[in-house]
Amino acid sequence: MDEKMSVMVVDDEKIVRESLFFWFEKAGYTVDTASSGFEALKKIEAYPFDIMFVDIKMPGMDGIQLLGKIKTEYPDTAVVIITAYGSIESAINAMKAGASDYLLKPFKPKYLSLVMEKILQQKKLTSEYNYLKGRLEKISRFDNIIGQSSPMMEIFELIPEIAASDASVLLTGETGTGKELVAKAIHAKSTRSQYPFIAINCGSIPDTLLESELFGHRKGAFTGAIHTRKGFLEVVAGGTLFLDEIGEISPKMQIDLLRVLEEKTITRIGSSEPININFRLVSATRKNLEKAISSNTFREDFYYRVNVIHLHIPPLRDRKTDIPLLVEHFLKKYSQETAKHVDHVSKNTLTQLKRYPWPGNVRELENAIERAVVLSKSRTLRSGDFSFLSTSIPRKKTPSLREVGQAYILEVLEMCDWNITHAAKILGINRVTLHKKIDRSGLRTLKK
Amino acid sequence: MRKDRQRIGVIPIGDIPDIAPKVIAAHISGYLDLQTTLLGSMKNPSYALDRQRLQYNVGPIFQHLESRLFTSVDKVIGILDVDLFVPVFTHVFGEARQGGRVALISIFRLRENPMDTINDSAVALERAAKVALHELCHLYDLTHCENRQCLMHFSGSLSDLDQIPLSFCRYCSQYIREATK
Repeated sequence: MDEKMSVMVVDDEKIVRESLFFWFEKAGYTVDTASSGFEALKKIEAYPFDIMFVDIKMPGMDGIQLLGKIKTEYPDTAVVIITAYGSIESAINAMKAGASDYLLKPFKPKYLSLVMEKILQQKKLTSEYNYLKGRLEKISRFDNIIGQSSPMMEIFELIPEIAASDASVLLTGETGTGKELVAKAIHAKSTRSQYPFIAINCGSIPDTLLESELFGHRKGAFTGAIHTRKGFLEVVAGGTLFLDEIGEISPKMQIDLLRVLEEKTITRIGSSEPININFRLVSATRKNLEKAISSNTFREDFYYRVNVIHLHIPPLRDRKTDIPLLVEHFLKKYSQETAKHVDHVSKNTLTQLKRYPWPGNVRELENAIERAVVLSKSRTLRSGDFSFLSTSIPRKKTPSLREVGQAYILEVLEMCDWNITHAAKILGINRVTLHKKIDRSGLRTLKK
Repeated sequence: MRKDRQRIGVIPIGDIPDIAPKVIAAHISGYLDLQTTLLGSMKNPSYALDRQRLQYNVGPIFQHLESRLFTSVDKVIGILDVDLFVPVFTHVFGEARQGGRVALISIFRLRENPMDTINDSAVALERAAKVALHELCHLYDLTHCENRQCLMHFSGSLSDLDQIPLSFCRYCSQYIREATK
């Protein structure tokens, strides 16, 4: 552990803060001081400290309270309690609350040095543990797909088995669940992995263009076809073609693709020469294709052709145990990308994130973490950093002015026991108008 | 043209055996290649005596020395024969502020036997020289060294101090050469 540690001294006595400050400075540590628990919390929120020396007796927040907060929010920070009023009880309390050590003021410089050595040793063990934990985490990751929940572990187990076969795969799941990542993982684990993986979003390409993209065209086949061009079905040669949003393709294109899958040949637009092709098809949809078959928008024969193996990716709300792991992963990713030191999410915020329904699934979670990291002014993400999420939760429909008016008239009528004269007076309209309003909105049916 | 070497003033404070400042000055010249000047002695710092602890607080002595100009030297090292402390510690052998101008060392706890006179003890003089060189290097911004065979390694006890040889590791030697140019 060559990197010098950062130390904070928290004591309301200036002379103690200074003494320790000078000692740590001479030892080469990055050192800062705080005169109260509140100041210390503010500082650690802005900058990570490896070790804190905390006095027990301080006005406002005492050292044990501060220790508790530090251990909850920043468990990696070692805390050493220092006190001039030592008792066995206070030492036991401090150690129970998670203190790394306990020093009685004044102490021998040698003791301080020994405490530092001990903590450095612990930190070294912790970093070794984290390294091993990181390796273990790889078990809960599969080619960038992250999860430790049982549905995800099942998917991780299935991917190599699916990859070993050459059958068409249909991936279903809501938007943002990671269907493309699963498709890539299947490709990466298959014998086709040295050949291309081509992903096409069928929903975003108009049908005529999709045909040209997939099958290619001969020069002059249509206006604008100034060169002969290979389609993706040719380019993918030997690899995997991933058709996302397959539920969006037209019935004509479904017939064309069905023929390709059966005959393993294509003909470029404007050409009559068949070309042999070789690829594996992995498709994905967020639509219920069985319903689409019933409504005649999706061909049944094509469905059975693309759905030889079916894999459903569960939505994030059904695997909430994966949220902390995903949050940690995205936090690491965006802290590095943005070069901002944001490495914590408070416990309450994590609970809030676990409660949120995530209609946009993992993609929405990733975007939320990225946005929070970019805008965060401290190293810890708190509920306020995710305030934008609450606005995107679908709310109850806001009633129209007419609905509000009808509800008010009904309330007044009930208040007056349906006495039209009284009610009309309160509402400030004449009796004839009130009768018309009651008839028009069918309020009489609601009369109790 | 070679720039003048840094000049270190060595000041006996209070009742100090003559040999101690001379030995320390000689070690500074010999080991760090710096010019040393023995400055006139100062009175015992009774103003720094803590009557509860019966020890001398380093803080007021620092303030006193820092208030003096000492225009003829670049850095000052004060030598005392009283028990020094900084408030959070039980005692210190010496004290210096990182990158500062003044360092203090005390020979009080460096004797093998508290009743020995410093003149009797070559060991105590060697310890004093080690502490002086260590504290002086802090004035040139050197921090503690992890190498247990380097004078800049922290020693919290006499046995630690005795185990460290009177020499710097090659990194600290290089650093101090550059810093004192």
